[in-house]
Amino acid sequence: MNIHIIGILISKDLSLFFRKRAILLLTLMGFIFYLVIYFVMPSTVDENLEIGLYSPVPLPIFNQVEEEGLEISPLESEELLKEAVLDGSYVAGISIPADVVEKLDSKQKPVISLYFTPDAPQELKDAMETIVRELVFMQTGHPLAFEVSEEILGQDLTGTPIPPRDRLRPLLAIFILMMEILGLSNLISEEIERRTARALLVTPATVTDIFVAKSIFGIGLAFIQAVLIMTIIGGMNKQPLIVLISLLLGAELATGISFLISARARDFMSVLAWSVPFLIILIIPSFTILFPGAVTGWIKIIPTYYLVDTVHRAVNFGSGWGDIWINLLILFGFTVVIFYAGLYMLRRKFR
Amino acid sequence: MSDYAIIAENLTYYYGNLIAVDHIDFKVARGEILGFLGPNGAGKTTTINILTGQMKPKGGRAILLGIDVAEDVKKVKGDIGVCFETINLYEQMTAIENLNLFARLFGIKSFDVSALLNRVGLGGRGKDRVETYSKGMKQRLMVARSIVNQPQILFLDEPTAGLDPTSSLAIHNIIIQERNRGATVFLTTHDMVEADKLSDRVAFMNQGKIVALDTPLNLKQQYGKRALTAKVLMSGGRLEDREIALDTADTPGSIKELFANEKIVTVHSKEATLEDIFIKITGRGLIE
Repeated sequence: MNIHIIGILISKDLSLFFRKRAILLLTLMGFIFYLVIYFVMPSTVDENLEIGLYSPVPLPIFNQVEEEGLEISPLESEELLKEAVLDGSYVAGISIPADVVEKLDSKQKPVISLYFTPDAPQELKDAMETIVRELVFMQTGHPLAFEVSEEILGQDLTGTPIPPRDRLRPLLAIFILMMEILGLSNLISEEIERRTARALLVTPATVTDIFVAKSIFGIGLAFIQAVLIMTIIGGMNKQPLIVLISLLLGAELATGISFLISARARDFMSVLAWSVPFLIILIIPSFTILFPGAVTGWIKIIPTYYLVDTVHRAVNFGSGWGDIWINLLILFGFTVVIFYAGLYMLRRKFR
Repeated sequence: MSDYAIIAENLTYYYGNLIAVDHIDFKVARGEILGFLGPNGAGKTTTINILTGQMKPKGGRAILLGIDVAEDVKKVKGDIGVCFETINLYEQMTAIENLNLFARLFGIKSFDVSALLNRVGLGGRGKDRVETYSKGMKQRLMVARSIVNQPQILFLDEPTAGLDPTSSLAIHNIIIQERNRGATVFLTTHDMVEADKLSDRVAFMNQGKIVALDTPLNLKQQYGKRALTAKVLMSGGRLEDREIALDTADTPGSIKELFANEKIVTVHSKEATLEDIFIKITGRGLIE
């Protein structure tokens, strides 16, 4: 391995990368597009609570509190109420039992059910219980003895409310990293198909030099872009070291996938054809941050889940090493396997 | 120091069951131009790939400048230049950037890129991207790239294939200049005139074997036929060709008869071409 030659090859790749107008345009447009999306998203949580209500008995007071920041919408059945809460139409649902009057009359405690979205914070749950007690008091004129049952619909992701734009941070990081797959794959596949790699190999440059240069270039390019965008959108404010390590592993993962694609693809169109399925699959986990209720177990077989989840937890919740070390370990494992698989496939192609 | 720049000893290579290079032996002296001729698939490019260390032989040895290429290719890389059959330049770079890149890879710090571009007739286009070049210009740049390190051995794989006469002539001049500089040139070509004009010796390769190796003159004397060709005027103004083989017992009589009985318009002597000889030896043409 010759450091001097590797340096020359990296500068050559850098020069070529910025001369490929299509790739450069994709990269720049993506970069700008992601930032625009981030900054047009609401930066605060909507404080007007939209609540669904199922009540078989008439409770007029529940319809008179909208000016107090509550929007209570009646629904026709408990099932409809649950579905509406689960799909995010309401942050919470209140279900009044049909026998509420009879139970109160017979001095029994009726059970009022509260349904919450998966990521509803504890403050909301507490507030909802207080609201229900207040509304019942306003309706009857005196405190009533009843029990409140809380039910989380879907997977419970208890936490602090996160403004929508902050939820985008992991998504943008993963987009930047994964889009780099396209550029790097194209660069490498062209090097093979146009046989410029052969020209390099009859100089003192070796296959190892070329691979080290490509790896440094690929990882560096993806990593720098991801760090840059995360810095601009405030993704480095909490746990920067964890975020940096996650992004570095993500960049290496993207480079490994680029190697795999380059070993198969012949031109830009086939790079696109091979990249799109990879991109779609790898980006799926980032949507779990935007739509937490959609998380299912199978998503954990996608390597980027551990990248997204780590960045999300570190950036949005300030989670430390104790919370995410397993994530990082699994991500490291995936990255090593995919990177070396990519290297192996590409080496075979070089031969 | 060996007198030979290139030594191939029992060199063998096969792809699966297909033998591409079949136990070939040859030596190329320092400063010699060896023309390596053969039809497509004869094993010429595989031989170059082995000699330049791009492929390891399955048998035998390739020795360049006294070094076994398979054992220590790094030692010879700095002393060889390779011009590939297919154009493999960085097309989004300029000619100057291409040449500078390879000069840096060879560890050359001081390098007059303009002089080299002038030598190949690209002096005014050095700052243009290669993607804007014609095929002939790209090929000349390929040749320039292969001599950027002033190699002791220059491998040229079909350097003039499909080029116009001007570009071909420019490349011929470069080859001669490089030989004059002291470089050994290993040239594969389909162009028999080019091989005849440039090569000190030519090797005919067919189906992985070297079937003949000598100077063009010796090959012609050994395998070729000399002849006398004449155009004769027939009745009605029609022209017909007549050919009389030289160096036979019947030759004097045949010539006497021709001049006595025919109205001769033109008369020429004819030598065998390398292609004729190749066909005679192998039973097949060079371009199939």
